[in-house]
Amino acid sequence: MKVLVAVKRVIDYNVKIRVKPDNSDVDLTNVKMAMNPFCEIAVEEAVRLKEKGVATEVVAVTVGPKAAQEQLRTALALGADRAIHVESDERVESLGAAKALAKLVEEEQPGLVILGKQAIDTDNNQTGQMLAALTGLPQGTFASEVVVSGDGTDGKVQVTREIDGGLQTVELTLPVIVTTDLRLNEPRYAKLPDIMKAKKKPLDVKSPADLGVEVASKTQLLKVEPPAERQGGVKVSSVDELVDKLKNEAKVL
Amino acid sequence: MNFTFTDDEIAFQDAAKKVSAEVLKNNAKHYDETREFCSDSLKALGELGFWGMNLPSEYDGVDISSIGMTLAVEEVAYYCAATCSSLTAHFLSTDSILIGGTKQQKQDFLPRCAAGELLGAFALTEPGAGSNPAEMRTKATRTEEGWHLTGTKHYITNGAYADFLVVYAKTDPEAGHKGISAFLIERGTEGIEYASPEKTLGLRGSHIYEISFDCVVPESALLGEEGAGFSTAMEVLDRGRVEIAAMSLGIARAAYDDSLAWSKDRVVSGKPLCRHQGIQWKLAEMHTQLEAAKMVTYKAADSRDSDRRFSVESAVAKLFASEAAAMITDNAVQIHGGYGYSSDLPIERYYRDARITRIFEGTSEIQKLIIGRAITS
Repeated sequence: MKVLVAVKRVIDYNVKIRVKPDNSDVDLTNVKMAMNPFCEIAVEEAVRLKEKGVATEVVAVTVGPKAAQEQLRTALALGADRAIHVESDERVESLGAAKALAKLVEEEQPGLVILGKQAIDTDNNQTGQMLAALTGLPQGTFASEVVVSGDGTDGKVQVTREIDGGLQTVELTLPVIVTTDLRLNEPRYAKLPDIMKAKKKPLDVKSPADLGVEVASKTQLLKVEPPAERQGGVKVSSVDELVDKLKNEAKVL
Repeated sequence: MNFTFTDDEIAFQDAAKKVSAEVLKNNAKHYDETREFCSDSLKALGELGFWGMNLPSEYDGVDISSIGMTLAVEEVAYYCAATCSSLTAHFLSTDSILIGGTKQQKQDFLPRCAAGELLGAFALTEPGAGSNPAEMRTKATRTEEGWHLTGTKHYITNGAYADFLVVYAKTDPEAGHKGISAFLIERGTEGIEYASPEKTLGLRGSHIYEISFDCVVPESALLGEEGAGFSTAMEVLDRGRVEIAAMSLGIARAAYDDSLAWSKDRVVSGKPLCRHQGIQWKLAEMHTQLEAAKMVTYKAADSRDSDRRFSVESAVAKLFASEAAAMITDNAVQIHGGYGYSSDLPIERYYRDARITRIFEGTSEIQKLIIGRAITS
């Protein structure tokens, strides 16, 4: 079974976000970029399926600028067999990415597509669901466990989903779309020799036009604002004073 | 001149940063407080191939440029200087084998070192022979049973934890430098005694030992050729000094980053510290020292990949970066004030950890001697 795994280049989660002075967007100048953490979990799951003998090939894919090849190289170093880069300098949002991925699903015919449930930059949580709609494939979102029965040839997968207040397990018929939640696995670190070996693995570059899709966003970004700066706190000397302040100053009681 | 890194170099820097920030950083304070050996952090690096960063792929290393390796060493030191010290000490032992060993010795040891299975130590310094290794008194005599080693080595990083020691000894006491040979001695060899680890100012998670020898090792333990030990050691140290420069950079950058962030946050007399000119100038000086230290270090690393000798470049890098680290970590404590002096923050640890970089692998004075002799010859 072939597994297609989607990865996104985002600001490294350790970076303190700055907004451009004109509020037009987040400032990406000289900012360290990395693979979206939920996508790392997706890659890890795909690689583990290959190590278990369930998956026969892991194909990593991204939609984004040329620099996003760094994240594909990371996926290859972590164990993906080959990579596909749909190169676009446009601001790509969920629907654009989902359209490109849908074409690749058509071309590659994977048994399983694994995506992060959301990217930490735009927090949309849409691409996986949109891909399912576009391809007409069943979806198991917010996965905390993925079990492919047998060796994947009998065509079933059980996905345990993290839902409000509990877990839900669904059984889906392959091929399926899975999106990963935080607790699905703990991603490994890339080994240095594998980083060097990743350079020799194939990486195909396609344009959205090659796939016959438009990826540019239809929404216009009007304004980005940082959260309001935190005001200094005060120490209170008693519970009574605290209750009084909460009632009369903060007016939350 | 090109001031950009290759994709591989950046990938190594990123990989080192990730594991160091997520694993090593969490252990660093514990190692410093308890003086426990940095086993877990070192092992985490070993599993990911960091122990073979200095080796070619022929011996299961990675074929990364010295700049790529330097960037990775710097990241390790940024988050845990003690682990970095044990790692670079391991490189001294494997560099010794790579430079001085026979094909068989390289094949026997290096792939297992690269895989994180064998940890090495480099035993050159003695209680009575530090800056001048030619004054060493450890000797090896050829006997019917093999080489008989006697003597004491001092301040040997990784000592009792190392799976093998590269021990330098005199095989011909009359021949000066040319009478020194190196030996590969495996742990468990009868007649090796380790003293307790030294109590040190900094790098407390990286233990250093006094080791005494009265042991017999087979002929095959002789590393490469008899009498080649001194030249091997000097080449190894040329390489090692680039790594100490990188380690100094890592500690200094950690201290600088923390100081910059602190100065923006901490308000004194109605404005952040960084808006007071006295502090702003300190930060500017720290920044400048750091930038200059980077340049000489990366240049030395680049020279290390060339075929010519790079003793001067590596001495310049080691001298400048270690002195810069001293200045930067000292200013970091000053900017943090009482908070910098307290062990609640890692600032005083940076200050203590940086101190040794001006001493080991050749003191600042020895670096000046190397540079001075070269430029006036």
